[in-house]
Amino acid sequence: MLLTLKRKYREEFLAASFLWPSLTILVALLIYPLIDVVRLSFHDSNLQREVWVGFGNYIALANDPLFWRAFWQTVVFTFFSVVLHLVIGLGLALLLNMNLDPAFRTVARGLLIVPWLLAPTVAGMIWVLMLQPFGVLNGLLASLGIIDTNFTISWLGDPSTALGSVTAMNVWRAFPFFMVMLLAGLQAIPKQLYEAAEIDGASLFRQFWHITLPQLRGVITTIVLLDSIWTFRAFDPVYVMTGGGPAHGSEVLATAIYFDGFQKLKFGYASAEAVVMFIVLFIVSAIYVRRTMSNQQ
Amino acid sequence: MTVAQYGAAAHTRPYLGKIGIRGRERLINAASYLLLLIAIAIVFFPLAWMLTVSVRPNIEVMRMPPEWLPQVFTLEGYRKIFASPRYLVVFANTMVVSLVVTALSLILGAMAAYALARFKFAGQRAVLMFLITTQMFPLVLLCIPYFRIFIALGLYDTRTSLIVVYLTFTLPFCILMLRSYFINIPRDIEEAAMVDGCSRVGAIFRTLVPMSYPAFIGAGLYTFLLAWNEFLFAVVLIESWENRVLTMAIYSLMAEFVTDWNTMMAFSVLASLPLVMAFIFLQKFMVQGMTAGALTS
Repeated sequence: MLLTLKRKYREEFLAASFLWPSLTILVALLIYPLIDVVRLSFHDSNLQREVWVGFGNYIALANDPLFWRAFWQTVVFTFFSVVLHLVIGLGLALLLNMNLDPAFRTVARGLLIVPWLLAPTVAGMIWVLMLQPFGVLNGLLASLGIIDTNFTISWLGDPSTALGSVTAMNVWRAFPFFMVMLLAGLQAIPKQLYEAAEIDGASLFRQFWHITLPQLRGVITTIVLLDSIWTFRAFDPVYVMTGGGPAHGSEVLATAIYFDGFQKLKFGYASAEAVVMFIVLFIVSAIYVRRTMSNQQ
Repeated sequence: MTVAQYGAAAHTRPYLGKIGIRGRERLINAASYLLLLIAIAIVFFPLAWMLTVSVRPNIEVMRMPPEWLPQVFTLEGYRKIFASPRYLVVFANTMVVSLVVTALSLILGAMAAYALARFKFAGQRAVLMFLITTQMFPLVLLCIPYFRIFIALGLYDTRTSLIVVYLTFTLPFCILMLRSYFINIPRDIEEAAMVDGCSRVGAIFRTLVPMSYPAFIGAGLYTFLLAWNEFLFAVVLIESWENRVLTMAIYSLMAEFVTDWNTMMAFSVLASLPLVMAFIFLQKFMVQGMTAGALTS
C-alpha cells in the first residue's frame, strides 16, 4: 500500500527532498514577515506595546499630505529613471551593435557596465561630492560660463533640484542593465530581416521603426516592468544622497517608511505605509509574473 | 512584408554625393566609434573624479574653478584606511558575509533548481510564481518584522542576521537562473550515468554540475555583487562598528567626517575594486548571468 503510494508520488517525493530547504527559508523570511506587517498595520506600536486601532493607521495615512507627497515623488523618480534608462540604454546598445571591431565592442561594453557594479551607496557618495556647492559640477558649469562662480548651485540642498539630482545619479548607475539586455536582444534579431529591408531600400530609420523596435518589444516590456519595480522600491540613492530632504523635497516611499518606523518609532503607521506600497508593487508584479509564466509554458 | 511596403523608399533616399553606399557605411561606422568614445568619457567622468580625489589633499577638492588633475599627489587616504583595524574589519566582514551568502545561495539554489527542472509535481507552477514574485518584494516592508524577529531571537547586530536576510533576494535569483540553465541540458546524460551505476546525486555531480559551470559562475558573481552592495538591511540590523559592512561604513564616514573627501573616496575605490576586478576577468559570465537572470526569471 505504502509502496504503491510512494511509486505514484515518486516525483513529488524526490522534488520535495531537493526543494524543502529553499522553500522553508523563503516562506519563513517572506511570508511570515508579510503577515506580521499586515497585523502590525492595524496596531499602534512602538515595539514596546501594541494597541489595536483597526483601520486607524490607514485613515491617518490617507489624510497625511507627507505620505502622498512621498508617493507622488516616488512615481516621478521611477518614471524619469525608467524612461532615461531606456533611452540611453537603447541608444548605446544600438551603437554597440554596429559593425564594430569585436575587441573594441567587448572593451566598450565592459567599460560602460562599470557604474552598474558600484554599490548605490558608493555611487551616491561620488555624486554628493560632485554636486556640492563648490563641487566639480558647478566648477564645470562655471568654466563653461553657464553659471557665475559667486552663485553656485547647491544641487542637493535645494528642494527644486534634489530629486532631479538623485534621479540623475540613479540613471547613471543603472542604465548599463538596459544596455546589456537590449544589446543581447539586438543580437538575437535575424540578420535576414535587415538584408531584406536593405534590398527593398528601407532607410535606417524605417528599419529601426519596423524591424528593430517590434523585435525588441518583448525585452523592452520585461526590463521596463522589472526596472519600474526596482526603482519604485529603491531606498539607498535617496537615503544616502539627501536623506529625503531638504524639507521632504526628495522623500520617496522607502525612505518615508524607514523614517516613520525607525526614527519616529511609529511602527504601526510605517507598516500601514509598507502595506500600501506592497499592494502597488504587487499589481505591477502581477503583470510581470503573468508575462513570464506564459513565456515558460 | 511590412518591409516590402516601403520599397519605394529607395528612390527617396537622400543624395549622399560621391561617397556611395560603401562610403556611407564607413561614415556611419566612424560616427559610432566616436559617439561610443564620447559616451565612455561621460560615463567615466564620475569614476575618474573619485580616483583623482582619492589621491589628492582635501584643500584641493573644493577649489573653484576645479583642478582637473591632482596638483599634489598623496596616498594619505589609503594609508589611513590600511593603518586602521577599524576600517579593515569592515572589509573582512563584507567579504565573509558575501562569500557565505554566495555559497549558501548556490548550494540551496542548485538543489531547488534541480527539482524544478527535472521533476513534474503538483504545485510546481505555484512554486515558480512564488519565486518570481519574491523578487518584486519591497524590501523596506521586511525591515520592520526582521528588526523585531532578530531582537527576539538574540540575533540583532550579528553578521549571521545579514547572511540570513540576504538569502531573501539572492536565493530566488539563483534558483531561477540555474533552473533555466538545467532545463536546457538533456536529462539523458544523467540517466546514462545512472544506468552506468551512479546514484542520482553522483550523476548530478559528475554530469550536470560540471556542464553548467557558466551558470554557477554567473549566478555566483551576481549574488556576490548583490550581497556586497546591500545597504538597507545592514542599516536596520547592525548597530556596532565591529559588525559593520562596507556600504554602511561608507555612509557613517560621510556623516562623521563631512569634509574628509580624500579618505572617503579612497574607501570607495577600495570598496569597488573587488567587484571591478572580478568583472574584468569574468565579464562573459557576468553578462550571461545578467541577461539570463532577468529574461528567464
